[in-house]
Amino acid sequence: MHNPSTLSDATSQPLTLDAVSHSYGDALAVDRVTLEVRAGELVALLGPSGCGKSTLLRIVAGFINQTEGRVIIGDRVVDPLPPNRREVGIVFQSYALFPHMTVAENIGYGLEARGESKATCRERVQEMLATVRMEGFGERKPRQLSGGQQQRVALARALAVRPRILLLDEPFAALDKNLRLDMQIEIKRLQRQFGLTAIMVTHDQDEAMSIADRIAVMSRGRIEQLGSPVAIYDEPETLFVNDFIGSSNRFEGSVETVASDLYGVRLASGAIWTVTSRRSFSKGDPVLVTIRPEQLALTSKAAPDTIPVSLKLSLPIGGELIHDVESPAGEAFKVASPRRPGASLDMSSSMHCALAAHAKPILFPRPAA
Amino acid sequence: MARQLNTPSDRAYGLVMGLLAIVGLAILIVPVLIVLVSSFTSSTVLKFPPPGFSLRWYEALLDPGRSRHVHVALWNSLWVAAFATAIGAVLATLAALALNRANRASARAVEAGFLSPLILPGLAFGLATLMYFSILGFRPSLNLLIAGHIVVIAPFIFRTTLASLTQLDPALHESSASLGAGRFYTFRRITLPIIAPGIAAGSFLAFVSSMDNVPVSLFLATARTNMLPIRMWGMMETTLDVRVAAMSGALIVVVLILMIVMDRLTNLTRRMSM
Repeated sequence: MHNPSTLSDATSQPLTLDAVSHSYGDALAVDRVTLEVRAGELVALLGPSGCGKSTLLRIVAGFINQTEGRVIIGDRVVDPLPPNRREVGIVFQSYALFPHMTVAENIGYGLEARGESKATCRERVQEMLATVRMEGFGERKPRQLSGGQQQRVALARALAVRPRILLLDEPFAALDKNLRLDMQIEIKRLQRQFGLTAIMVTHDQDEAMSIADRIAVMSRGRIEQLGSPVAIYDEPETLFVNDFIGSSNRFEGSVETVASDLYGVRLASGAIWTVTSRRSFSKGDPVLVTIRPEQLALTSKAAPDTIPVSLKLSLPIGGELIHDVESPAGEAFKVASPRRPGASLDMSSSMHCALAAHAKPILFPRPAA
Repeated sequence: MARQLNTPSDRAYGLVMGLLAIVGLAILIVPVLIVLVSSFTSSTVLKFPPPGFSLRWYEALLDPGRSRHVHVALWNSLWVAAFATAIGAVLATLAALALNRANRASARAVEAGFLSPLILPGLAFGLATLMYFSILGFRPSLNLLIAGHIVVIAPFIFRTTLASLTQLDPALHESSASLGAGRFYTFRRITLPIIAPGIAAGSFLAFVSSMDNVPVSLFLATARTNMLPIRMWGMMETTLDVRVAAMSGALIVVVLILMIVMDRLTNLTRRMSM
């Protein structure tokens, strides 16, 4: 195993975005974003295209000067610094390897630009090739490499200059699906090994979930929620996060009973669910209840908390069966159940949908119709 | 991957297109071959097919006594083409760099302006340069010829360089910057090496176009600054001099060799078609 002691000596630094806003002309792309990335932490900026995540990344890199707010790396405000003096490494979606240079020349480029001696460059290039497991590829041209190999070189090139911050712009978007997991593990490994503070921009929630320490879900230039992947998935704070992450069902209802943080909610279909919520509601409040398909179950027994449903379609997706069902009130929703070989649902009997054990529905206020 | 020609209509289509291509190539190449063959004639008149073959016209062309004027004109043309191409390459590259970054509609208008010498009638342009220079009070000289040629040949370089630049991934510049390189370092190590084949291809076209230029030279050249194409035209007009065929043959061979070399280096044929 390669010993990275010489590389990881750069102490990792926190990154702070302090009320950063940016507009392109009249269009506000980033709206007062405040974010503290701890030293050595990987934060994913996750959101649909146009949510401002890429603009934020380019602001940190120094390619764009934000209209307002400050970017602080360590304890230094870097706003006046041009990109080449920020010591921020970036790996682009296209990898942006220099096509006319060999792999070794690509990796050594940053060191040469900084005026390091030839001997230092050569040594560091060999070190980096070993770190990304690309020994023996030094003399190849980028076009002779596969996508995954190009990405390793792009990483090695960015890390060779020991950046204080590593930025990853949609790092897995251009990779084959089965290569993605390998590269996710690789990036996580390098980020840990180098103790790097990193920001990754992605629109793919699975990527964000798998390698980020924390996820900032963005929408329309703002951070909707910042939290661990588990918190983002299980306790979405806004309807946007709830809908954007994973798949989720929505039911309209109203609050019938209130007992401290326990609410009895009557759904349109008549079922009554007992839901815990940190938000406070009063009796009669219109609410939206959201729940993940895997937290629902199909049963043949009716109960006060079940919804009678008719099954429209079942799709086997991976290890799950996804059932598309509809209640008599016209609510269409999805129920997931583990797929067992040979087992099939009894389609003839009347079916009901119940909350699965440990189900955690979430309550959101609903504007009264 | 090449599509297989298998249905009868595919085959008929292929046959017609192939024939058309052969006819087209023949129309383009046969005259050149006729000139080449005629230049080796043993006769004193230019006619095809030649009654016999000899190198006498090539000898006459090389003879410093008999062909001094041709040599001077050739030297003038090479001199003008070399300087016009060198200066044009620098100017066109700078213009392309500036326009590639600008996104405004005005930039597109300026781009069209730079390319206009390719489209404007050469004779009108030659007359315009002559009048312009005489208004400014310049006497005809090789330097004026160089200036005139720069204007008409720089667009070739401008076009191929701009094409190379638009294909350049902007992320390359950003990568370079984030790795610590300043603007000039980035230009020298990244931009220039990547667009160099485009500049070279355009320069080749520009050089050949300058060597071949009649309209601008016609207006700006004098007896002392005679240019090769005009000299050759003069020789044709008075005596149907076979040395013109020899000169043409030599030029054709030189350009062909240069073209093959350039194609190896820069994929010229691909760049010209853009």
